[in-house]
Amino acid sequence: MEINSFNYFLDPSKRIYWVFIFSSLFIALIFLLIKPNYRKVNFSRALWFHPSALLDYCYFLFSAIIKGLILVPIIIGAKEVALLVNKLLIVSFGFQRINSFSYTEIMIMFTLSLFLISDFTRYWLHRFMHKVEWLWELHKVHHSAKVLNPLTLYRVHPIESLLFGFRYSLGTGIVSGVFIYLFGSLINIYDILGVNIISYFFLLLGSNLRHSHIPLSYPIKVEALFISPRQHQIHHSKEHSNYNFGGFLAIWDLLFKTLIFSNSVEKIKIGITKSEMGNYKSILNLLFYPFIAVIRNTKKKLNRF
Amino acid sequence: MKYIFSILFFFVIFHVNASGDNLYQKVLITNAKLAHEASKSLIIALNKNNKIPKKEFKNLVIRWKKVEAIYILSSLDDKYIDTPWYLDMFHGKNENIKVQLNRIIESEENIVKALYKNSHKTINALEYVLYTHDLDNPRVKDIALLISRAMENRFLEILNGYIINENEFLKDNKIGSALLLNSLVESSYKLKEWRVGDVAGITRKYKGKPDNTRSEYYLSGNSVEAIKAILEAHKQIINSNQYEDFSDFAKNYNANKEIALTIKWLNNSFQILSKIKNDNLTGDLAKEFYQSSTNLQNGYYSSLMNKLNFVAKILDADGD
Repeated sequence: MEINSFNYFLDPSKRIYWVFIFSSLFIALIFLLIKPNYRKVNFSRALWFHPSALLDYCYFLFSAIIKGLILVPIIIGAKEVALLVNKLLIVSFGFQRINSFSYTEIMIMFTLSLFLISDFTRYWLHRFMHKVEWLWELHKVHHSAKVLNPLTLYRVHPIESLLFGFRYSLGTGIVSGVFIYLFGSLINIYDILGVNIISYFFLLLGSNLRHSHIPLSYPIKVEALFISPRQHQIHHSKEHSNYNFGGFLAIWDLLFKTLIFSNSVEKIKIGITKSEMGNYKSILNLLFYPFIAVIRNTKKKLNRF
Repeated sequence: MKYIFSILFFFVIFHVNASGDNLYQKVLITNAKLAHEASKSLIIALNKNNKIPKKEFKNLVIRWKKVEAIYILSSLDDKYIDTPWYLDMFHGKNENIKVQLNRIIESEENIVKALYKNSHKTINALEYVLYTHDLDNPRVKDIALLISRAMENRFLEILNGYIINENEFLKDNKIGSALLLNSLVESSYKLKEWRVGDVAGITRKYKGKPDNTRSEYYLSGNSVEAIKAILEAHKQIINSNQYEDFSDFAKNYNANKEIALTIKWLNNSFQILSKIKNDNLTGDLAKEFYQSSTNLQNGYYSSLMNKLNFVAKILDADGD
C-alpha cells in the first residue's frame, strides 16, 4: 500500500486512478452539456474550496500515511486467509480436485465470485457501519462531508479502513481458498492491469461520480441492478443515509430492502445533523472525535443502568 | 495388434530422439517412454526363467511412479482420465483383489476371461502374483505375463497420448505450468497422507496405529523406492538446469523465494528418506519425512499464491 498519496493516481486498483478520473470527468462533461443548469454548482469555487472539501484534500494526504504505516502491517493478507481456508478444507474433507471444468470456465467463475463476494461483503460492512452504534460514530467521519468530491472516498476513519481491509482479506481469501481447494493452480482472474475486469469496468463507468455533485441517475430498471452515482449521493443525504449501501451492485439493497431510487427523492441535503457537523472540522476532529463520541455514548448507557 | 504397437513404438522413439529440449519432452515423454521400456524388460525377464524378476519389477515401480507423480495427460485429453487407474489401484477401489486373484489362480478358467477386471491387471495385482505365488506354476507365470503385457500396452497408450497432445500443452505456458503445479500438489498430498501418514499411523484414519503392511509395495519391499521416484519426478519439474523447468516459469510471477524454499524441502525429504532402512515406514524417520513432505506441499501452495498477486495485495480498504 502506498504511503505517498499521489501514487494513488497511478495505481489502477484505486478508484482515483487517473484513467478513472478522466473517464468520470468525460461522463460529467457530457452530463453538463445535456443538463446545463448543473454547471453553476459544479464549476463553482464554493464547491471545490468549501471547508469540507479542503479538509478532504488534507485528510487524503494524511490518511495514506496512516494506512501505509499503521494499518497495512496489522491487516492479515488475503493470501494467508486463502492458505488457511485451503488447509482447513483439506483437513476436514480430504484432498479433492474437480477436473470437469476448463481453464476458461474456472477463470470466469473465479472472476465473478470474487467480484460478487467483494460487493456483497462491502454492502454488509457498510450497512453495519450505519446500524451498529459505535461503528456509526466512526462512519460519521465520512458522512460529515458537507460537499462531495472524489477524494471524499478517503475521508474515512482509520479504524473503518482497517475493517474494510479485513473485509477484503477475508472475502477474497475465503473465495480463493475454496477455489484453490477445488481447482488448485488452475485458478486465475480476468484482469486489466491487475484489477478484476468487472470491477475495472465499473470503475471506468464513472464511479468517481458517486462522490460528486453530478446527479447522474439510471433508468429505474437499471438502478435496481446497479447503484447510480445519484443513488449514492442520496445515501449521503441526512434523510436517506440508511438506504443504498451498495457498492457497484444494487441487488443487495433490493434483496435486503434498503434500496431507494433516484426518482423518488427530489432534493437532498448532504451531511449529518447540523448540531453534529461542527465536530468534524479538522483532521484531529476526524481522528479523535469518534472516540469521544463512543465514550460519551457508553457513559450515557452505563448511567441509565 | 502387436505389429501396430511396434510401428507406433518406433515412431515414438524416433519422435523423442528428434525432439528438442523442453520439459515436456525431457520429462513427461521420456518418463513415459522409460516406463514402457521397463514393462518390456519385465516381460523379457519373465520369459527367460521362473525366478521373480525383482530387479525388473523394482525398475518398473520406479519408472511408473515417476509417470504417475506428474501425470497431466488427463487434463490435456479426457480420453486418458482413467488410464492411471487401469495401471494402479493403490487407494483406489475398495476391493480385495488378493482373494479374487487366488481364486483365478486356483481355477482352470481361461485366464484372459478370468482376468476380466481392470484391477486384475494393475501393478498391485502383478506384485501380488509375483511375490506370493510360485512362478514355476505355469498358470501363475501366464497370469504374470498377461498382466505385464496389459501394462505394457497402457504405458504405450500414455506415451502416445503425451506425444499426440504435446501442442495442447505447449500452446499456453500458463495452463501448462498450472497443470504441472497441480500435479505436484496432488502428488505431494498423496505422498504424505497415503504413502507415509497412513503407514506411520499419523493420519486421522490410522492415528496411533502404525502398520507397515499398509505401505504401497509392502510385498516387494519397494515402498521407499517408490517414494524416492516420486520425489525425483518433483525434482525433474522444479529443479533442473538442463531445461526450462517450473522454477523458471515461477520467476514470471515472482515466486523465486517460494520455489527456493520448496526445493529446500524437497532436498530435505530426500535426505530423510535416504536414512529409512528396510522399507520401514513406521518409525520416527517416517514421521520426520511426513513433516518434511507437508512442508513441501505448503511450499507448492505458497508458490501458487504468488501467481495470484492481487490476493497478496490489500485492496479496497477505502470504505464507501
